[in-house]
Amino acid sequence: MEDQGKRVKGLDPARAENLDACIKCGACTAQCPVTAVYPLFPGPKSMGPDAERLRLAGVALTPDCLSYCTNCKTCEVTCPSGVRVTEMLLRAREQEKEAKTRLTGRRRNVRDYILGRAEHLGRLGTVWPALTNAVLRRKTTRRLLEKSIGLSARAPLPLYSQKFRHRDKSSPLRELLRGDGIPDPAARIVYFPGCFITYNDAATGQAVVKVLEHNGFEVIVPEFHCCGVPLTTNGHFREAVANAVHNLALLQPYLEEGIPVIASCTSCGLALKDDYPRVAAPGAERVGAQTYDFFEFLWELHNRGDLREDFQAVPVSLAYHAPCHLKAQGIGTPAVRILRLIPGVKVLELDAGCCGLSGSFGFKEEKYNLAQQIGSSLFSRVQTGMEEKKFQGVVTECGGCQIQIAHGSGAETVNPVWLLAEAYGLKGKS
Amino acid sequence: MMWDGIIIGGGLAGLVAGIRAQERGKQVLLISEGAGSLTFAAGVLDFGRMEELQAQENHPYALLGEQAVRDAFRYLIGLCPVYHGEWGRPQAVLTPLGMLRQADLVPFRLDASPLAGAREIILMAPEGLKDFFPEVVKTNLQKQFPGAAVRLQRLRVEEFTNWHRVGKPVPATVYAKFWCTRQGALTLQNLLQETALEVRSGLNPVMVIPGLSSAFCPGLAQTLDKAPWPVVEVTSFPPSPAGQGLYETLKEEFRALGGELLIGSGVGRVEIESQAVRRVIVKSRGKETAFAARAFVLATGGLFGRGITVSPTEVREAVFGLPLYVPAEWSGSAFLGEQPYARTGIAVDDRLRPRHPISRELLLTNVHVAGRMLAHWDPWLERCGGGVSLASGFLAGELL
Ligand SMILES: Cc1cc2nc3c(=O)[nH]c(=O)nc-3n(C[C@H](O)[C@H](O)[C@H](O)COP(=O)(O)OP(=O)(O)OC[C@H]3O[C@@H](n4cnc5c(N)ncnc54)[C@H](O)[C@@H]3O)c2cc1C
Ligand code: SF4
Ligand code: SF4
Repeated sequence: MEDQGKRVKGLDPARAENLDACIKCGACTAQCPVTAVYPLFPGPKSMGPDAERLRLAGVALTPDCLSYCTNCKTCEVTCPSGVRVTEMLLRAREQEKEAKTRLTGRRRNVRDYILGRAEHLGRLGTVWPALTNAVLRRKTTRRLLEKSIGLSARAPLPLYSQKFRHRDKSSPLRELLRGDGIPDPAARIVYFPGCFITYNDAATGQAVVKVLEHNGFEVIVPEFHCCGVPLTTNGHFREAVANAVHNLALLQPYLEEGIPVIASCTSCGLALKDDYPRVAAPGAERVGAQTYDFFEFLWELHNRGDLREDFQAVPVSLAYHAPCHLKAQGIGTPAVRILRLIPGVKVLELDAGCCGLSGSFGFKEEKYNLAQQIGSSLFSRVQTGMEEKKFQGVVTECGGCQIQIAHGSGAETVNPVWLLAEAYGLKGKS
Repeated sequence: MMWDGIIIGGGLAGLVAGIRAQERGKQVLLISEGAGSLTFAAGVLDFGRMEELQAQENHPYALLGEQAVRDAFRYLIGLCPVYHGEWGRPQAVLTPLGMLRQADLVPFRLDASPLAGAREIILMAPEGLKDFFPEVVKTNLQKQFPGAAVRLQRLRVEEFTNWHRVGKPVPATVYAKFWCTRQGALTLQNLLQETALEVRSGLNPVMVIPGLSSAFCPGLAQTLDKAPWPVVEVTSFPPSPAGQGLYETLKEEFRALGGELLIGSGVGRVEIESQAVRRVIVKSRGKETAFAARAFVLATGGLFGRGITVSPTEVREAVFGLPLYVPAEWSGSAFLGEQPYARTGIAVDDRLRPRHPISRELLLTNVHVAGRMLAHWDPWLERCGGGVSLASGFLAGELL
C-alpha cells in the first residue's frame, strides 16, 4: 500500500534492496501452506524474489495463481533474511489486476468485491441481525450464493450481532481530580475495533472496553472504516489506501496528543503498524509506533506495574492458537503471558500452523477445500487434545481463526479477553 | 518483566539451550529471525571423531570435553526417544541418491542396517517425488548390495493426481505430511498388502521407501511396524521430512515447558552496560520492542544462519558486533575464494562467554555463544555439526 503517484516504472531502490536480501534458500516455499496443498501455486520464492527480478526489468510475469496467496505472511516469518516477500506478491497482483481486469470472470469479481467489503455487508447485516442470520443459515440461500457469486456453501460464514457501539463516557471524576478540566492523555486510549468486532462480535468488543476501563482508561472509538486488509487481499488496492487515509484522519488528533491506539484484531493491528506508515497522509509517521495489539498493551502495563492484577482464579485449561498476522507483528505471544498471570488458567500453545481461512480465502467456492486442507493439522491437533482432555477449549485473538477452528474441529473457540473479563469479575456486567 | 534468559537464534543450538534452561525452571524467551537450518539438514546428527577433534587447540570439543559431548548425545535421545544411537558406533543411512553414509544419531527406521542381510530389496518409487531419481537409487543399491535383487515398485497416490497432471514434482515434506494423516497411513497399509502378494519372504526382503519420516508420526510408525518385512527410509535433500520433524519436536517441547518463541523478527540491536547485556531490541512491525534478561545465548547460526554477515570490506557478527576469529587465509586477497572460512566465528572461554580472538580478554559476562557461531570448527570437513551444536547448546542451557 503506497502512494500511487509516487511509483515509477523501473528500478526502485527499496525494491531492489528487498530483492538483494534473498539468499535463495527456499525456506519460504518450504513453509508456505498454499504451496503444500495446491500444485498450481509455484510458491513464494518463485513468485516473489525470483519473478521480481523480471518484474523489475519490466517483464510482467503474472501467473493467475497470484490470487491463491492468502497473505498469511508465513513466508516472511520464515525467511532468515528478512525479505518482504508478501509485499512483492501484493504488488505483483496489483500490476496483474491493472493489466487484465477485463479478462477475469465477472462472477468472481462480484464475489471478491463483496468479500473485500466486509464493512458494507456488515452495515446491512447488523440492521436486523436475527433476520440476516436466519437467511444466511438457510441452505437454499447458501446454494444460491455459491451458484451466483462463488461463495462456498460449506464455508463457516460469521453470523451478525448487534453493531458494536461505544459512547465515549466523559469521566467527570478524573477531570475533577486534575482540577483543570483537561483529561489526562495518559489515561485515554483509542480503540480500533475492526469489522469483525463491529459487525459480528460486539460482545467481545465490549469486553475489551471493559477491561481497559477497569484499568482506568477512558476509551475512545471514532467512526473508523475497515482497516483495508480484506480490500488488499481481494485485490482492491486503491480502496485500501482510501480507507487508510480516512482512518488516519480520524486518528491524527489523538496521535498528536500521544494517545495510544489499541487493536484487538491482529490483522487490523498489523495494517496499522506496517501498512499505514507507508501511506502519504498526516498521522502516518506516528501510527506505527503508537499502535499496540491489545495484549501487547496490557503486557506493557504489566511491565510498568500499572496493570490491575486483582484476578479471581479461573480454573480452566485452554489451547492457544497464534494467528498468522500476530506472528507477523514480531511481538511474540503477549496474550499467553497475560493469561498465565491469572491464577488457575493453564495455556497450551498449539503451534500447528495457519487455520486456512485467511480472512475470506476459505469462503470462496474454489478455495474452500484448500482452506480446510491447510487447517487440517491444526484441527486434528485440537481434536486430539480435546479427546485426551488436555484442554477444554481454544482461545485465539483473530475472529476469522475463531470461526474456522470451531468449524474445522468442533471446539469452542473464543477471544482470550473473555478470560480476563472473567478474572476481573466483569463478565455479564454492562 | 525480566526474563531469566533470552536466546537469540532458533536452530538446533538455540532450541536445545532453551529446552534445557526451561527444564531447570528458568523462564526463557527465544527470539529468531527465521526458521533454523534444521529444516535443511537431513535430520541425522553427526558427532565426528571425538579424539582427533578434542586434540585440536581451541576446537569446541576441546573446550567442552568428552563427557559434556557424551552427555549431550544421551540428552537428545532422552528428549526425542525416536533417535537411536550408541556413542562411538556410527550407523549407516541412505543418502537421497541411495549411497550409504554414516551418522551417529539417527531417527528410527533411517537406520539402513537391515539392508545388509537382504536378498531382495523392494525400492518404492512414489510418483513425482521431488529430487528422487529411482533409477539412480536402484543402481546404487545394486552396486552396494550385490547379494540382493533390487526391484523397483512404482506407487501412485490419488491425492497427488493434480500435481502429476500439471507435472509439478511433490516435495518430500508434502508426501510425508500425507502419509502422516489417517488416510495416508491407510493408503500405505493397502499398498503394503498388495505388494506382500508378490514378495517371497524366504529372500529376506527389505523395503526402501523415500519421502516419509515415520519416526515423527506415530500412526504411520504403527502401520510400518505391521509390515511383514523391515522398512528402511531414505534421507532427503532439503527440505527434509526428518529435519522438519526434529525442528517441530524441539519447538513443541520448548513450548510445552512454558518457553515463549518469537519467530519472524530478529534482534536488531542491544543495550550493553559495563560488559553485561541488559536488553535486546527486536525489530517488530511499527516500532521496536525491548526485552530484558539476566543472561543471553547467542546462537544465530554463523554465515549460513546470518549470524555472521559478509560484505566486500568486512565480516561482521550481526547482533553484538563482537570481534570474530577469522582464519588468516581468508583475510588475504582471495577473500571469497576457496578458503577455510568455515572456522570463522567467536572465540569463547570454558563458560562459552565471548572473548577477544587475539588478546583473549573476556568481552561480555552474561552472554553464552553456541552452535555455528563458535570459532575453530568445520562441520563439513569434520562431520561434527550436530555434535558441536547440540553439546554447546546444552551447556548454554545449563549456564543460563
Ligand atoms: C544444509 C545443511 C545441512 C546439514 N546437514 C547436517 C548433517 O547431515 N548432520 C549434522 O550433524 N549436521 C548437519 N548440519 C549442521 C547442523 O544442523 C548444525 O548444527 C546447524 O547448522 C547449526 O545450528 P545453529 O543452531 O548453530 O544455527 P542455525 O540452525 O543456522 O540457526 C540460527 C538461527 O538464528 C537465527 N538468527 C540469525 N540472526 C538472527 C538475529 N539477528 N536475531 C534473531 N535470530 C537470528 C536464524 O534465523 C536461525 O533461525 C547441516 C546444516 C546445514 C545448513
Ligand atoms: S503469504 Fe502465505 S500463502 Fe502467500 S506466499 Fe506467503 S506463505 Fe504462501
Ligand atoms: S526464505 Fe527469504 S532468503 Fe530464502 S528464498 Fe525465500 S525470500 Fe529468499
